[in-house]
Amino acid sequence: MIEFRNVSKRYAGNQAIDNLNLTIPTGDFFVLVGPSGSGKTTTLKMLNRLIAPTKGDIYFEDKRLIDYDLTQLRLQMGYVLQNIALFPNLNIQENIAIQAESLGWPRKQRVERARALLKQVDLDPDKYATRMPNELSGGEQQRVGIIRALAIKPKVVLMDEPFSALDPISRKQLQDLVLQLHKELQMTFVFVTHDMHEALRLGQHIAVMRLGHIQQVGTGEDIMQHPANDFVRGFFENEHAPRPDTVQSLLNEGYGEVTTAPATLTATATVNELAAALKGTAPVVVRVGETSRTLSTPDLLDYLATKEAD
Amino acid sequence: MAQIIHILQTQGSDIVGAIGQHIGLSLISLLIAAVIAIPLAILLMNHERWAKVMLQITSILQTIPSLALLGILIPIVGIGTIPSIIALVIYAVMPIFQNTYSGLTTIDPNLEEAATAFGLSRRMKLFRVELPLALPMIISGIRIAMVMIIGTATLAALIGAGGLGTYILLGIETNNNALLIIGAVLSAILALVFGAAIDWLGKLSFKKAGIVLLTLVVLIGGFAGYRKLVNPQTTITVAGKLGSEPEILINMYKDLIEHDHPNIKVTTKANFGATSFLFKALQSGSIDIYPEFTGTVLESLVTGEKSANHDPAKTYQMAKQALKAQHQMAYLKPMKYQNGYDLAVTKQFAQKYHLKTVADLVAVEDKVHAGFDPDFHQLKDGYPGLSKAYGLKFASVKTMEPSIRYKAIANGKVNLVDGYTTDPEVQEYHLVVLKDNKQFFPPYQGAPLMTEKLLTEHPELRTTLNKLAGKVSTTDMQKMNYKVTVAHEKAATVARDYLRSHGLLN
Repeated sequence: MIEFRNVSKRYAGNQAIDNLNLTIPTGDFFVLVGPSGSGKTTTLKMLNRLIAPTKGDIYFEDKRLIDYDLTQLRLQMGYVLQNIALFPNLNIQENIAIQAESLGWPRKQRVERARALLKQVDLDPDKYATRMPNELSGGEQQRVGIIRALAIKPKVVLMDEPFSALDPISRKQLQDLVLQLHKELQMTFVFVTHDMHEALRLGQHIAVMRLGHIQQVGTGEDIMQHPANDFVRGFFENEHAPRPDTVQSLLNEGYGEVTTAPATLTATATVNELAAALKGTAPVVVRVGETSRTLSTPDLLDYLATKEAD
Repeated sequence: MAQIIHILQTQGSDIVGAIGQHIGLSLISLLIAAVIAIPLAILLMNHERWAKVMLQITSILQTIPSLALLGILIPIVGIGTIPSIIALVIYAVMPIFQNTYSGLTTIDPNLEEAATAFGLSRRMKLFRVELPLALPMIISGIRIAMVMIIGTATLAALIGAGGLGTYILLGIETNNNALLIIGAVLSAILALVFGAAIDWLGKLSFKKAGIVLLTLVVLIGGFAGYRKLVNPQTTITVAGKLGSEPEILINMYKDLIEHDHPNIKVTTKANFGATSFLFKALQSGSIDIYPEFTGTVLESLVTGEKSANHDPAKTYQMAKQALKAQHQMAYLKPMKYQNGYDLAVTKQFAQKYHLKTVADLVAVEDKVHAGFDPDFHQLKDGYPGLSKAYGLKFASVKTMEPSIRYKAIANGKVNLVDGYTTDPEVQEYHLVVLKDNKQFFPPYQGAPLMTEKLLTEHPELRTTLNKLAGKVSTTDMQKMNYKVTVAHEKAATVARDYLRSHGLLN
């Protein structure tokens, strides 16, 4: 369990965090969400002591964070950065095993661990283990970034807007991946995002932040149905609005396969129009920027089902 | 070109030796500079203010002219390899430090944050992340330093550390473009080769690069140690200024001393550079003996009566007494030849007008078209004084670079030039030197200069070196200079031949 007790952080005259009180249960998938300048990243970075609070204390397993040996503390916390930050001079398996190396694991064990993790996220170890980071796509790099944080089985994994720089397809795949990893590994995940949709999709508990203050903490459903104030209501309004879904919504979620066939439908068409088109025999192809994607009936069904579940 | 090939054939082994010295000097300096600069940059990478101070200091050191730096170092550490290495290290520290520092401080902050957040130890962060990421910058710093060192190391020749600079300086001094080209081209090639080697080293892994460097250190160290063992401890060092003449003389000193006193070992340091370097080296004890001119002593080494007496014997006595009183130095007896200014004309011109002395010129002064070195044209001891003393006024006077004068008279552009009495060009272009019958030109006679301390410890040196007193005529010296600078014979051989043929050595 992690507890923030009356924590404040001031930067030269600027109150980044103001008297924060927050509890993160062990094994939770906890999301900090808010617009930029809300203090969510500062809150996250105080957990592995990249940033020190000006006032107040943070407790990790009932012990003050500052009473931990810094290295010991950090070796219990995995960390995933927004811009991935794989070390460009180390190959993929060395990147994954860097914390293990720091702990003095034997080489054989490090390689085994790296390969097992690669397999777990569907990257073929024979193909990827000895490649250099710049030989991988952005989505593949962030997969490596995530498993690097898991390599030494930390108790807590901190993720700082890890998917914000990725394209919608990779983002959806990686969201699925972290959900699955959280289920399998039973670690505490603390996840920062500015995207309320991502927060709702991932978080068991969500803390909505604004200008260094917590606005509301609760499950996604709680917050959607009983917003604590106008800010929270406004922040989640888009999700409430019964807007007509378009083909673009599916594309944003990453559905569809890339194809070279000519387009048969525009991205502004509604979901209903899509359903009508799918009833026909010809494949439905939508132009997306430079490429085109073909959408199938299972794509539409999956999209509608996921939406219902949300 | 033919001349270059000739030099390469006759002096091949010397040149290879010089390349070896140059490489050794450069690599040792580079290694020391890297060993100082890289850890310093690592130490200061998180102390911006101190790093700035350090950058300032290294930049200031960079601006000291290399000659001045060598001059400052001589009284402190003497001459030869050590001051050269110190000077080169001082120059090389800046590029390596600057590049290492900026390489380490411009690492992507996200990577720094990742390394910190993962709890990597300081050591591991440095060796696994920071140094490898800064490596391209560090390598380019080392590369810049290397090129600079190889270039600057040519000046090491001035203070007796040898290397390719010997050929460049000799080439400049004796107007021998072949030597100049050999020295310059070889150092340029060295710079290219080492640049490429450093690039190659930069592509290796840390471990391999380390092994290569270590091997180099062991090889150089082993070589230096081997040379130390093979060369027994020497007792007397004889040095000479730049040029063939001093080199011939110091080889004569060496042969005479070693012949008379088998227990004394003499090392020679030829082409040592300018007067002040040698004199300081003598004062600091880095060298023991060097040949100096009586006129130069009065002009630049002692204070007091400046205007040199025009009587050679009196000039010598004045120089000797002033050196003893002001610097506690002993000045042995001079040789016969005088190396001062003279006037030379072509043989045809001399025969046509029956010219033997400078005074003979008065009769034909309206037919004389002179080519003078700019100094000679202006100095009181040069043309202005001469024209007053002899009542001469030539039809035309052109000033030109010293090296061009002889070519001008050979090509018939002028018919009279100034020169030094022992210039080999007098032989080469068949010129006639006119006798200074009024003894206008101050006398420059060469004699061995040493500290009184040395002479007290080895009084036998006086007899030995005085064997040369009154020997070696101006023509002898011209001939020997001709053999060395034009015919490219070895100075040591020329010196020994002279001593043998004059019964000074058997």
